[in-house]
Amino acid sequence: MNCMELRRSLLVNPRLRDGDLQTHLAECAACSAFARQMESLESRIEEAARVPVPEALDERVLLRQSMRRPARFAMLALAASITLAVGLGILVVHERGPGGGEIVSGVALGSEHPAVAAISYVLDNEPQLLEEGRRGDPAVMRGAFARLGLNLPANGVTVRYLGKCPVVPSGTGEHVVLDTPVGRVTLILVPEQPFTSPVVVADRDKTAVARAVRTGGYILIADSLKNARQIEKMLM
Amino acid sequence: MFEGGKSRFERVVRAFSTELYRYAYWLCRDRFVAEDLVQETFARAWQAWEKLQDENAVKAWLYSILRNEHARLFERKRLDRDDEQDLGEIPDTVSSNPHASLEIREAIHSLPQSYREPLLLQVLGGFSCSEIAGLMGISEGAVMTRLSRARLAFRQLPGWDVMTRKKAS
Ligand SMILES: [Zn+2]
Repeated sequence: MNCMELRRSLLVNPRLRDGDLQTHLAECAACSAFARQMESLESRIEEAARVPVPEALDERVLLRQSMRRPARFAMLALAASITLAVGLGILVVHERGPGGGEIVSGVALGSEHPAVAAISYVLDNEPQLLEEGRRGDPAVMRGAFARLGLNLPANGVTVRYLGKCPVVPSGTGEHVVLDTPVGRVTLILVPEQPFTSPVVVADRDKTAVARAVRTGGYILIADSLKNARQIEKMLM
Repeated sequence: MFEGGKSRFERVVRAFSTELYRYAYWLCRDRFVAEDLVQETFARAWQAWEKLQDENAVKAWLYSILRNEHARLFERKRLDRDDEQDLGEIPDTVSSNPHASLEIREAIHSLPQSYREPLLLQVLGGFSCSEIAGLMGISEGAVMTRLSRARLAFRQLPGWDVMTRKKAS
């Protein structure tokens, strides 16, 4: 292998180190320097090519597939969303006017309802997210409130956590944790995913309300239904 | 059988979604379109899952689906998007040396698509020249030529020497 041949093959693949090439590099200082430069350039290209990947992309892909293909994906859908809800003893109530409601199982609500998946996500991941204390973009959060026509409550309310909710497809769900006069509440704001009917989900010590507003909806998780209602009044 | 197919699919999603996203990003240079392309790729992969015979071929198969989806999406607006790119939108959180990394990103962006694509298939996907040739429907010789020209373009960057020396030291 001569210098020209070596340089040609390194331009095609700078990581190549076969026998011929090694032999030449050991004997030729100029090509050795060229090889080091090419390797260094290659590292920079690799580093630059690895652009940041949105958080929980694989979870969203799996969730989307579970929603699209409930028949084939029944088991995965259960794993992704409902099993956890049922396993934690969550009851699902379809609202039928003020105060009234019929209790149905999580399975009956259907895996296509983003509320169930989002609730599971919150129950499962929120403690850790709060611990990590990551912060999303306040402007994005305010935008989500505005698009849903909701007020961001100001009096005695602080934002504990802001982030994307990865179970909502296309990264359009905002996950907001608020400390309020009636305790800590979680809001999942989903401006672009239409919800069907209002739903109340209750587990042993949490109550979640999912409600359609404008072109999307929100899911609110509080310590009790009474508290959830109170927060809803502040949002309207 | 069903269980196997499902958990295998899940494993494949977890294994390849990151690199497919990056490949998609460099094809369309839009974070949201890139995610949609990845979603669409896995949707199509799942539809055809039973047809996949060779598990070793799954990676190249996914890349080729994504490549076709991208082509389908952009065949109508075939204009070269090289001049409407927005580099500002990529946060530089992964780079230890943001400035130099941005220069390389700009250089990747400014490569003609026909050079950029084989380079990224090699760098991100770890494909061989013959695999890249298969994916792109061109000859292996053409792949080698394009890879060389892509790297020569980097070597002609102003300050290339400085950048590589910094990294090497
Ligand atoms: Zn030499």
